[in-house]
Amino acid sequence: MAAAGTTPDRRLDELQADAAAAAEQRRQRRYLVRSLLRSPTFVVGVLIVLFWVVMGVFSTTFTQPPALPHPFAILQSPSASHWFGTDDLGRDVFARTMAGAHTVLIIAPLATVLALLWGGMVGLTAGFYRGLTDDLMMRVVDAFLALPIIITAILIISLLGRSYAILILVIGALFTPVISRTIRSAVIGEREREYVMAARLRGERSAFVMAREILPNITQPIIVEGTVRLGYAVFTVATLSFLGFGLEPPSPDWGLTVATERLNLQAAPWTVLFPALALASLVVGVNLIADGLSSTFSK
Amino acid sequence: MARLIGRRLLLMVPTLILVSILVFALAEVLPGNLGRFILGPYATQSAVDQLNHNLGMDKPIYTRYVEWAGHFVTGHWGTSYQYTTSVFPLVMRALGNSLLLAGFALVIIVPTSILVGVYAGLRRDSILDRAITISSLSMTVIPEFVSGVILIVVFAVTLHWLPVQAMPPQGSPFIDRFYYLILPAIPLMLLELGYIARMARVGTVQVLNMPYVRTAVLKGLPRRRVIFGHVLRNALVPTVTVIGSQIGWLIGGLVVVETLFNYPGIGNYMVNAALNHDLPLLEACVLVVAVLYMLSNLIADIVVAFLNPRIRMGG
Amino acid sequence: MSVVEPQVDSRDPAPAALDVRDLEVTFHRRGRDLPVLKGVTLRIAPGEAYGLVGESGCGKTTLAMAALRYLASNGTVDAGQVLVEGRDVSTLSDEALRKWRGEAVAMVYQDPAAALSPAMRIGDQVAEVFRYHEGLSKAEALKRARESLRRVALPDPDATLRRYPFELSGGQQQRVVIAMALAVNPRLLVLDEPTTGLDATVEAEILDLIEELRGRIHAAILLITHNLGLVARLCERVGVLYAGRVVEEGPAREIFTDPRHPYTMGLLRCVPRFGMNKTDAALQTIPGTLPALGEPLEGCVYSARCPMAKPVCIRREPDLYAWPGDGGPRGRAEAEAMPPEPAAFSPHHANPVGEAARHARCYFSAEVAQMPHLTPVLATSLEARGATAGAVLEIDDLVRTFRDGRRKLTAVSDVSLNLRRGETFGLVGESGSGKTTLAKCVTGLIAPDSGTVTFEGKRLRATAGRRSQDALRAIQMVFQNPDSTLNPAWSTRAILTRAVRKLGSGGSVRAKVDKLSADVRVEPRFLIQKPSDLSGGQKQRIAIARAFAGDPTLVVCDEPASALDVSVQASILNLLVELQTNEQVSYVFISHDLAVVRYISDRIGVMYLAELIEVGSAEEVFNPPHHPYTEALLSSIPTLDFGDRRERIALRGTMPSLSEPPSGCRFHTRCHRTLGDICVEQEPPVQEAAPGHTYKCHIPPHELLAAQATAEPAAPIKA
Repeated sequence: MAAAGTTPDRRLDELQADAAAAAEQRRQRRYLVRSLLRSPTFVVGVLIVLFWVVMGVFSTTFTQPPALPHPFAILQSPSASHWFGTDDLGRDVFARTMAGAHTVLIIAPLATVLALLWGGMVGLTAGFYRGLTDDLMMRVVDAFLALPIIITAILIISLLGRSYAILILVIGALFTPVISRTIRSAVIGEREREYVMAARLRGERSAFVMAREILPNITQPIIVEGTVRLGYAVFTVATLSFLGFGLEPPSPDWGLTVATERLNLQAAPWTVLFPALALASLVVGVNLIADGLSSTFSK
Repeated sequence: MARLIGRRLLLMVPTLILVSILVFALAEVLPGNLGRFILGPYATQSAVDQLNHNLGMDKPIYTRYVEWAGHFVTGHWGTSYQYTTSVFPLVMRALGNSLLLAGFALVIIVPTSILVGVYAGLRRDSILDRAITISSLSMTVIPEFVSGVILIVVFAVTLHWLPVQAMPPQGSPFIDRFYYLILPAIPLMLLELGYIARMARVGTVQVLNMPYVRTAVLKGLPRRRVIFGHVLRNALVPTVTVIGSQIGWLIGGLVVVETLFNYPGIGNYMVNAALNHDLPLLEACVLVVAVLYMLSNLIADIVVAFLNPRIRMGG
Repeated sequence: MSVVEPQVDSRDPAPAALDVRDLEVTFHRRGRDLPVLKGVTLRIAPGEAYGLVGESGCGKTTLAMAALRYLASNGTVDAGQVLVEGRDVSTLSDEALRKWRGEAVAMVYQDPAAALSPAMRIGDQVAEVFRYHEGLSKAEALKRARESLRRVALPDPDATLRRYPFELSGGQQQRVVIAMALAVNPRLLVLDEPTTGLDATVEAEILDLIEELRGRIHAAILLITHNLGLVARLCERVGVLYAGRVVEEGPAREIFTDPRHPYTMGLLRCVPRFGMNKTDAALQTIPGTLPALGEPLEGCVYSARCPMAKPVCIRREPDLYAWPGDGGPRGRAEAEAMPPEPAAFSPHHANPVGEAARHARCYFSAEVAQMPHLTPVLATSLEARGATAGAVLEIDDLVRTFRDGRRKLTAVSDVSLNLRRGETFGLVGESGSGKTTLAKCVTGLIAPDSGTVTFEGKRLRATAGRRSQDALRAIQMVFQNPDSTLNPAWSTRAILTRAVRKLGSGGSVRAKVDKLSADVRVEPRFLIQKPSDLSGGQKQRIAIARAFAGDPTLVVCDEPASALDVSVQASILNLLVELQTNEQVSYVFISHDLAVVRYISDRIGVMYLAELIEVGSAEEVFNPPHHPYTEALLSSIPTLDFGDRRERIALRGTMPSLSEPPSGCRFHTRCHRTLGDICVEQEPPVQEAAPGHTYKCHIPPHELLAAQATAEPAAPIKA
């Protein structure tokens, strides 16, 4: 920071000014956090998601083992000993429902981060350079978007086989086009602004302009987009599991549970209902966070 | 207008080619040794080689693509491994079933959700608006199988109002089919409701803030005229675009709902084909869906152009 | 609170067209109450034109919206009344309100493109008024709409009826809005910045139209604007609004020639008068910044910025005193005798309606004429700026085209010009004339198709990315929009530090940043702020500091003050002049405001449809003989000079498209001095009116001079 020829006094001065700037920045960040905490949708969303994160990590410490069968207590309706009843193998539905968040909460966030990284790179490059680069990239993106995500995912997974890594990679890849479009249009909105022209007139390199000038100004749409996509990642993982292209038994994953237990739907609806409701609450929670973020940002 | 449609149709061609390459690559290149992939690890090497030869896997890749694409265009979609019948009629019948379900859902939900959304937009920030916004927002992310399962538990298992099956027994009159389609259609509708209503609301709120709406009010026009003459037409432009692109989600939803209700539609066939490595059927289903999706986007573009004179005349 | 008077004043048989009494409006934003109008009282007689003047945030549009009962949902009328023709607007039922809007009052808006419904044909939009106010059938209403369009002199009304708004030019759109407003002969017409954003010649057209219609429609007019010249031209009476208060009111002519409030005086002094140049005098500025909306102010709302303020001004707010009269001194004596009033606003102030012709809210009205000049006169001759004979910048045969679908638009066509060190070259022209494209070609933001830019004898690379760091440092740019010129994510200090790092010539970065901010008079405490915390003027100052980070030789200023309020604009212009004198820098200065360009420029170039049609010293270009287009442009500016009875030259038709420029002389389709076929067929020669003063026209200088200098101005050609 200190340039050549500065006296100790000046350096002290400089440090004070930097501290003041940092304090100012902290003040603004605090303001943002405070207005987020005043948004009921955001707070409710965070509470729901936190609940499932805690359950995903710790539920097995206080419930029965989710995979433990009770051969003499199959398809029991909810009771004091089995709050949510038992399934056709006599496994405790409560334990399985609480543990079901685990897999989704690993796959969906990782896939989203991956998609944000890839989509960020594609969107920034296409939006910043425009011209031929942009045209080509967007054509490919269009082709990907010409197929519903679930269908492409089915296609790929049926050919590659199933695993955590493949699910993460596939969902990450399939979410990339949508995210790159969002980021691209945000970049296009910024790149024609005068401060970007000023940077070019300073002789800044493109990488600098993208990373330091433009990126900080589009973090809010990126955060909102990321949260929205996280909701859809949960959606997609669950749906793939339900269709038989996700996790494999005996995982307590919600989508998988609904798929396997739906044979007992008429006789023992609780085996299906509770995992379904759990999944619904998680996706709604994530979405409420996204709504809270976007309405706070747009104020 | 005709030129606009023509141009959009032409623009579909490269996208379609890209999609077909994508499908071809995924289905026939990705598995590596296709014969081994289909026959599984216990088949003899000679059987695998024989199958590979029959499939033409020993030819160079671009020849295979051109042949494959050529067969497709001419309606020779091959034979299903699973059903050992010709794929084309199979897919067409399934497509008919799916279109019936999707069309049924759309016909009901598009006007409903536009109404709901516009209403929420006009009553912006009221309790009702907040309620509509939050619930429609939540609807968009709840997977169809979740809402489907809950609906079955409530309306079929508990209340016995609606059948669990999606197809009426053989020999029932056609009109009965709609009764059986109500339950499967609702999960699709809920998802669409969220999207379309939200977009209609946002469009309405935006347009209400436009200076030209102020002009219309200060011209002394009745409220009814302001809303129907000036607000709606402009507010619906983004909504229509979204409906077009939503068809993709709707098709994704069809896959799930058809599986859940065991309904013989194209989504159900696709899942089964994928699970059973029935490549000809899988490829056909995917390509049909892609074409369907592009056509629906095209229709949305045309409606948007109709609503927006600038696009219409820019041709 | 004043006693509510009977609704119809017995002394006055005809009720006022608009009678606003002690109106208080508050906006509620994020849980805070922001008073926007504080006891505003004004009265417009039937048929009278009243100008309401004020800078941004003073509440003038709020007043108009309150008058039409169309406040935003977060605004409330807390006290006071709005009477239109004696009826209290707040008592109207919904249906009566609807009928009343359109039939009794109508409005013309700032941005005509946005004011028209985009997806509805013009005919339907105008006909609507007849259908819903007069109950006409669709066919009849369309017929009446056609008449309305004819009345506002729209060419080919039949075709216009079938068009969509986007197919019309800005001027035509505004004519449609006016036609719509006047459709059912309202008695009160509210004009909210009706010409802001339109080009000078279009503005003149619209003003002519409004003036001409006034003779026929007998509607009272409330003109809301920041442009004093507009008021001087159209209005009989004027009210000056500052921070939600009327600070002065009276006949326009008297107010503008003999202001009695320091704010009015300040406003009049800070706009460059027509023909004024920086070598004559510096612009007077108003210190400080405009108060933010609803900002609490102590005592007189203007005291914080007033050069005449005394302690008593902060002690108690003055009333609106009649002028001439002894109200001011008496009020002052009272205020001095009283214990200090709490800072909170109290609405006890006198209602001046019907009492006197003029009022001013000041204790010291008698002394306003002697208000001290704050800005010292600058000596800024070319010599003082170290001007040398050699050219710093030479542009030769520069061409730049853009593609718009299949059409090719020529934005800059064969432009050549040169610029000396320390000189300011002003570039004027209407929107689309190519001035910004030319500027961007100079700085390298856009690459020209052909032609060269030579800087200090060396040919420059086409784009900034290929230029050396030295070339970048030497040529910098100041942009138009204060809200996007600074990166919102960076602190002000970071912005300047980065600029000094990249462009500076060694030495302490910190010291340079401090010096730059001192040079542009931005206090150090603002350096830790993000741009969103700065006012428009401050942002523009930082942008100027950034351009000067590397001690540039040439700074291209693209409308640097156009987005700012007039009181702020003057200080930015002064700053640029001062920096030029101190740093000996050359400017290319782009503006659509001719008075500003005349003030700041040594030489001026006039652009029309991508061509540079006239170049000369500022003095020469502004006086005959000059290009007929320049002549028309100059005639179109409304001035504050009441003795000014120049004939306005109305140009025919609309600006031709850049993709199909007219043959021969590009101006021939609109020229009022066209010679006939020769102008259509042959490209005009470059004529030399004086050494260094050239223009492109078939008419030789002596003939032009004879025509333009005659007392009888050329008869304007009607469309």
